[in-house]
Amino acid sequence: MLKVEDLTVRAGPVELVRDVSFGIAPGERVGLIGESGSGKSLTALSLMGLLPEGVTAAGRARLADRDLVGVPESRVKDLRGRDLSMVFQEPMTALNPLMRIGAQVAEVMTLHGRSRQEARERSLELLGRVRLPEPAQIARAYPHQLSGGQRQRVMLAIALANEPRLLICDEPTTALDVTVQKQMLELIAEVAPALLFITHDLAVVASVCERVLVMYGGRVVESGPIREVFTRPRHRYTQGLLAASRLTPRGTRLPTIKGSVPPAGRFPGGCVFRNRCPHATPACETVPELTGDGHAYACWHPAH
Amino acid sequence: MTLYFVKRAAVLIASTAVAAVAVFAFMALLPGDPAEIALGVNATPEAVAELRRQFGTDRAPVAQFLDWAGGLLQGDFGTSYVTSAPIGPQISDRLGVTAVLVLGGMAVALVLAVPLGTFAAVHHRDPLGAAISAASQLGIAIPAFLAGILLVFVFAVQAQALPSGGYVPIAENPGEWLRSLLLPWLSLGLVQGAVLTRYVRSAVLDVMREDYLRTARAKGRGRTGALWRHGLRNASIPVVTVLGLQLATLLIGAVVVERVFVIPGLGDLLLNGVAGRDLLLVQGVVMVLVAAVLLINFVVDVLYHLLDPRLR
Amino acid sequence: MRGRMNAGLLVGGALVGLVVLAAVASFFWTPHDPTLVDAAHRLREPGGGYLLGADKFGRDTFSQLMVGARTTLYVGIVAVGIAALIGTPLGVLAGMTPRGWLSELVMRVNDLVFAFPALLLAVMLGAVYGPGTLTAMIAIGVATVPAFARVARAATLQVMVTDYILAARAAGRRRAAIAVRHVLPNIGSMLIVQASVSFAIAILAEAALSFLGFGTRPPIPSWGRMLQESQELLFSTPRLALWPGLAIALAVLGFNLLGDGLRDFLDPKLRRIRAEG
Repeated sequence: MLKVEDLTVRAGPVELVRDVSFGIAPGERVGLIGESGSGKSLTALSLMGLLPEGVTAAGRARLADRDLVGVPESRVKDLRGRDLSMVFQEPMTALNPLMRIGAQVAEVMTLHGRSRQEARERSLELLGRVRLPEPAQIARAYPHQLSGGQRQRVMLAIALANEPRLLICDEPTTALDVTVQKQMLELIAEVAPALLFITHDLAVVASVCERVLVMYGGRVVESGPIREVFTRPRHRYTQGLLAASRLTPRGTRLPTIKGSVPPAGRFPGGCVFRNRCPHATPACETVPELTGDGHAYACWHPAH
Repeated sequence: MTLYFVKRAAVLIASTAVAAVAVFAFMALLPGDPAEIALGVNATPEAVAELRRQFGTDRAPVAQFLDWAGGLLQGDFGTSYVTSAPIGPQISDRLGVTAVLVLGGMAVALVLAVPLGTFAAVHHRDPLGAAISAASQLGIAIPAFLAGILLVFVFAVQAQALPSGGYVPIAENPGEWLRSLLLPWLSLGLVQGAVLTRYVRSAVLDVMREDYLRTARAKGRGRTGALWRHGLRNASIPVVTVLGLQLATLLIGAVVVERVFVIPGLGDLLLNGVAGRDLLLVQGVVMVLVAAVLLINFVVDVLYHLLDPRLR
Repeated sequence: MRGRMNAGLLVGGALVGLVVLAAVASFFWTPHDPTLVDAAHRLREPGGGYLLGADKFGRDTFSQLMVGARTTLYVGIVAVGIAALIGTPLGVLAGMTPRGWLSELVMRVNDLVFAFPALLLAVMLGAVYGPGTLTAMIAIGVATVPAFARVARAATLQVMVTDYILAARAAGRRRAAIAVRHVLPNIGSMLIVQASVSFAIAILAEAALSFLGFGTRPPIPSWGRMLQESQELLFSTPRLALWPGLAIALAVLGFNLLGDGLRDFLDPKLRRIRAEG
């Protein structure tokens, strides 16, 4: 349903996302994990056509039969909010402080053709669906009267209003309290259609998604079913990531990946991880292709 | 919210009272006795004393102040020591003229600043936006009276299209009334417009960076639509707060512009009063101007609190 | 010093420098005596030693501009000086005091003074003590105090929550000592920017006052008064209005640009009116 091929995102001469390809089937939940600077947010933004000024995307991305990349804004914006929607990381600033909640939820529906009356009624339904208590009261409230968790639920309601085919969530729970996080994740797991879930938190992605893409340095370095990737990672970066996230016995040192993430544009040529990989050889100066069906990886010296 | 309103109103009243005391005390410092000045050098002490009793200037300062302030509250500004004419009517006559001048100037400023400032913000990276920004820098460097003189030169001297001064009451001749006010309005409005343009630009730029604009676009709005529907209303709040300050500045600018264009407004009255050493008149006019500024600030403050639901 | 050279700093600095140069030079030499009435040269067109021509009294415009620059700078320096010397301690006090009522009171009085625009104060002062440069300076200075107090208070509040101030207080240093040794140096950059902006406003106010006859008395040249004198001859000799007008506009522009440039230079994060994206 969603097919992305060779997506490349540039800011001037610097390539921030390179040759990213993946697909999402209807109803599938796919996670996109990586550290800050890996390009995961930009990938999502380019699908939505919401890249910041000065940043451009090239390549191909299709949602069913519609192109998302390389098309002028006027042709893509009717997809946003209707077939394709997004929930962002920061709920505290995502809502217009001067508009009532109900109006902001209704807006996404009236924008895509529903009548004001219908939109208003459906807003109340949606607010209930995201498990907000007293939807009528919430609808009349202003954003500053809601907590972060409540606001994020409102964002989810807005995203689901027009029954999109694909919901993109960019770190939706990172800014929330831990207890609220759990509820939010359960909610998302329950209501989402096809899902692209972006996060840096391995535990979170494991609880929500079936398949996962691992990004580093603007490239997809590994992809596959969550269970497999997490128990038998093939790419050395994924391996390092998983090792660092496991609880270690008392007295032992936390395993870490040597070095640190280079700034954008300073990633090494060839395999993007090679300057931090303990298994790097001269062969790694060539970019490894993503190989393997189902469970794919881009590494000359994979684990296992 | 109501509590805030009441608090603010109390502050307004207190400030006005303090201002009245300050103005009175200030003018009481004026050297020279009004009675002596009125009667001249050769007056007999008895005549001076008699006149002082009539004026009421032989009483203690506090009593004089209370008398004056009490009169103000009833709309009685007293009678001039110099011209023996009641001051209140003079002020009210001219208040209307100055008010029209100020409001017209503000209108011109807004009509200029809102579109230009928004445009400059949206195009802040390209040369056109930068040009507007530069032009506004130049605009704020020009005092209103200089703008007035320039406009007179262009429109009255060169083009001979508009009068270089004078005022015609609207009752007499609406057409001429308008013509006599056009250049003064432009003088005030162009300069204030430049100042406002910078504020509007800044406010819109701030809003353009806000996350909720991105949310609006994620809903399916285009760039312009998102800015229009969500941005401008939010940007108007900081601009409204500035408007109050600008209105006060306009009031003072009007004082000078009235001189340039010979318009019989409050400013003109004030300057004449000072020139003629008409103490009571000056007191009255200054009080009106200061009270106006305080009132404007109060209204803007309350408005700002009403507009932003976070403050209610 | 953080930040980098920028256009505002350069252009503003150049314009201000020009004004300062003219003022300083005028002490040593001017083409003609600007106060000398010379009927033989009345309304003389530019040329032959009278670079910009002469006015209706035969006084050389260029010389008047040079000496007028002195007045402009005088008034600006004294007014901003008064405002800074009075406003800064008030603002710092309001920002540092733990007594909320004191802070509130200072700011309320501040707002009240704000309601008396410079022009009004100058007119009132002029009515009492007679118009002149001194009354203009004092009036403008007093009217500018609120701006400095506000900026000083806002800056102080920002600085008060920084870690090293908290450390100093935890170490038991007295408030006064903290104020002088820690707060003042750190709010300095904001105050310098405000000083530049206020200077520009002071120039405008002085010009307006002179225009109205409340500023510098004749025969001392003043740009504002030159403009006023030029008005009656606008139809016949417009150049008499052009030069003082240009001088005022360029001086104000210079100080404004300098202020913006200083703001960008001293603390780029402080940019309140953002110049670029």
